[in-house]
Amino acid sequence: MAPTEEDPLVADLGVKGEEAPGAAVPALRASRLCKSFDGVEVLHGVDVELRSGEVHALVGENGAGKSTLINLLSGRLRPDAGHVELNGQPVEFRNPLAARRAGISVIAQELEVVPTLTVVENVFLGSEPTKFGIVRWRDARRRAVNTLSELGLDADPDRAVGAMGVADQQLVEIAKAVVGQFGVLIMDEPTSALNLEEVERLFRVVRRLKADGVAVLYVSHRLWEVFDLADRVTVVRDGNLIFTKSIAETNIGAAIRAMLGSKSSLVTDVAQVGREIEREVAAARQGAHRNESSVPERSEMGRAAPGRAPRSGDGQGPVSDTPEGNKRPPAVELEGVHSGSLLSDINLTVHDGEVVGLAGVLGSGRTELCETMCGLRKVDTGTIRLRGVRARLREPKEALAHGVFALSEDRKSEGIFGHLDVRENVVLNFDAARGERMPADAASNPVRAWAGKAAVLIRKTGLTWVRARAERRAFDSARASLGIRCSRPDERITALSGGNQQKALFARAALTRPAVLVLSEPTRGVDVGAKEEIYTAIDGFAGEGIAIIVSSAEISELMRLAARIYVIRNGRIVAQVAREEASEEQILRYMAG
Amino acid sequence: MILRTSKRVLAADSAAAVIAAAGVFVAFSLINSHFLTRLNIDGIIVAASISAITGLGMTLVIAMRALDLSVGSIMGLAAIIAAHLLGEGVPLGLVIIAGLAVGCGLGLINGLLITMLGLPSFVATLATLSMILGVELLITQGQTISIHNIGFNKLVVTNIGGFLPVAAVVAAAVFAVVWLIFHRTPFGRHVAAIGGDERAAVGAGINIMAVTIGTFVLVGFCAALSGLMTGAQLQNVDSTIGANAELTAIAVVVVGGTSLTGGRGNLFGTVCAAGLLAAIEAGLNVVNVSSLYDDLVFGGILIIALMVDGLRRGSRRRGTLVT
Repeated sequence: MAPTEEDPLVADLGVKGEEAPGAAVPALRASRLCKSFDGVEVLHGVDVELRSGEVHALVGENGAGKSTLINLLSGRLRPDAGHVELNGQPVEFRNPLAARRAGISVIAQELEVVPTLTVVENVFLGSEPTKFGIVRWRDARRRAVNTLSELGLDADPDRAVGAMGVADQQLVEIAKAVVGQFGVLIMDEPTSALNLEEVERLFRVVRRLKADGVAVLYVSHRLWEVFDLADRVTVVRDGNLIFTKSIAETNIGAAIRAMLGSKSSLVTDVAQVGREIEREVAAARQGAHRNESSVPERSEMGRAAPGRAPRSGDGQGPVSDTPEGNKRPPAVELEGVHSGSLLSDINLTVHDGEVVGLAGVLGSGRTELCETMCGLRKVDTGTIRLRGVRARLREPKEALAHGVFALSEDRKSEGIFGHLDVRENVVLNFDAARGERMPADAASNPVRAWAGKAAVLIRKTGLTWVRARAERRAFDSARASLGIRCSRPDERITALSGGNQQKALFARAALTRPAVLVLSEPTRGVDVGAKEEIYTAIDGFAGEGIAIIVSSAEISELMRLAARIYVIRNGRIVAQVAREEASEEQILRYMAG
Repeated sequence: MILRTSKRVLAADSAAAVIAAAGVFVAFSLINSHFLTRLNIDGIIVAASISAITGLGMTLVIAMRALDLSVGSIMGLAAIIAAHLLGEGVPLGLVIIAGLAVGCGLGLINGLLITMLGLPSFVATLATLSMILGVELLITQGQTISIHNIGFNKLVVTNIGGFLPVAAVVAAAVFAVVWLIFHRTPFGRHVAAIGGDERAAVGAGINIMAVTIGTFVLVGFCAALSGLMTGAQLQNVDSTIGANAELTAIAVVVVGGTSLTGGRGNLFGTVCAAGLLAAIEAGLNVVNVSSLYDDLVFGGILIIALMVDGLRRGSRRRGTLVT
């Protein structure tokens, strides 16, 4: 295929054009698909049909079976029953390669880029343009640059992808899916790491593909995206198809109700939520795109579960937000912190039992600020004080020793241990002997100090027995208190939904008895129901007196959780606002500058 | 073009090996003038060529985040079969083809064991290493087989134009072919992709099985070629040929700047490291250090190389955070 010089992009985003003639024949039709894992059926005969030139949204809670369905359609898994038809022909994909050859392109939920390869090598991985078996890198480079610039990424095509930020990696992942020839595009949460502008560009590309006759299956937790982009929506719950309707026939409230099912009693005023989101979408459509991410989940979440969250929407936390009269020094205090060119003059204070939010666009320094607090980033000048004592956090283990526990924004690669089971993941940092710290007077007594140091050293080396019973007890109580849903403690953590994986990490944090929690994107890739449970858990931690820093791209989430919100832009804190006084719009304005 | 190439060489992971090789040559020449004699230099070039060829194949294996421990035994078996066939009066051309075919076949077996049975490459090739050694002993009955074919010997040690041993030409050809495969074919990219992130490679529709088998066939071929060259050079073969050559091969790859964590491979560095190790071995000999110390020195170099690799990865990781 030779892209035309005038508009190489059109060729790059090219489609197998043949599926149009019989408009009645869907591009992809799956009938009564069933799938079981370890004897447990997770998909109970689901039908889904994608037409050429439509964007078809697939929504459902985590664990509803969306990912399984996608894996069946893309050849990663094989159905136990049911069949798939591509352009009216029955097909059976033995592996992703076969599906891709048949014209099904997939943007996976989890980044599937090879970090050691360059941008252009990743974009064309598995579909390298060749001449006599030799890759035409010059051609590939040109096409990759074109496609990426359409997506708004102006990157050096010869740069290793591993050295890029998550959002850029996600754009490479998307570019990978949209070069080459395909008739069906499956997008699984493509926007989770993207900012508004990037989402808009992606939507433009999706609309172009749609106009070219591609059938797009679009999976997202962001319902406003779904209702903005899709033509039809399919809702699945607990492995069952609830309905497929055209967007005109339904609304967000109905979709949420269908997703949650009996659990929708959780959301008492679903209709209200739906109306608010729809208003938001309408505003977004009218071009007020700046405010889009402020999906009013705050009101949804705030009022959703009266009596569940200790802190309901009135904005008053359970613990005093005002430190006055509190003689204890703040749990965390950053003063004039600089780090490279990415953070300058950061001043920040968090008190015991306080939840503080960090807002900022991607690349603002929000991630880097969290890294300084958990020992992943060097502080050039300035001081970090923990409970009034200057702390040097050069490594995460030093942070942990100071009682600072951090959850990474990248749950899969920096949070969970995919090859371990749920319990092993939860009790990872659990130390039954913790608390038997050195007595305070040990420092003055050299012998006791040595003995204490030796004991600590031995414990650090891990040369102690695993206290199996204590671990089991700890796990059981954490599982119960956080509501981790797993079939057995020795279930692989990767078999759990994103929300439950996150709850397991919260349990891990709880078992370290932290003084400070640094939470980056605590609800990324987590569905509506689990989100509320995670908010409740965060409120609970704060109630126990833990100082909490939440960094999130979702302002509504910060408004829900935090009493104070710091806004960071270009590595500087540009504003500090109290929840009562701030509006999401105002925060957005600070973020954008 | 020349500027770009030299820039790339200096910036590349192989810089350490290039500089070290140059340094070793200069140092030994200064210490002892015998180091620069024709005989000694030829010896270094032949030894370096032989270890470079296996190392080139091994570079791809390590870039794929695998290991092949059977290369030394493949070298031995190829040499023994060649010696045996020459003794039976089989024509030289056929003997060479047979030896290379044996290497490819053994590589195929390795690849099949790894992909079909899902064995880790380390374990699978450790098993085949043992089995191949067993076959060698059955063929030789523990005896040494002499090769009385002058042409075979000349194919390796003859100096073209009076200064360049044929072995170096063979190694250069192998380098060119493997370089093309690695950097200019989809296959090569797929090798690096599997080593970088196998899950992503599966997702990209790469045929993991075909690429894995292909890589092991390639390294088997390279090892057999090295084995034939060793046999031709020594004229006497027994089952000790290729003993520990797997360690040499892994060492030249790592010293050459290819990380054991996979995902990237540095072929030029491998060649330089092969030269470096051969020069050190010859140099120690020239300055009258007993060859009993060779293994000790060799292990030390390996540790240094792994340390450098570790530091490099560390800085790269930190670099990722900074960007």
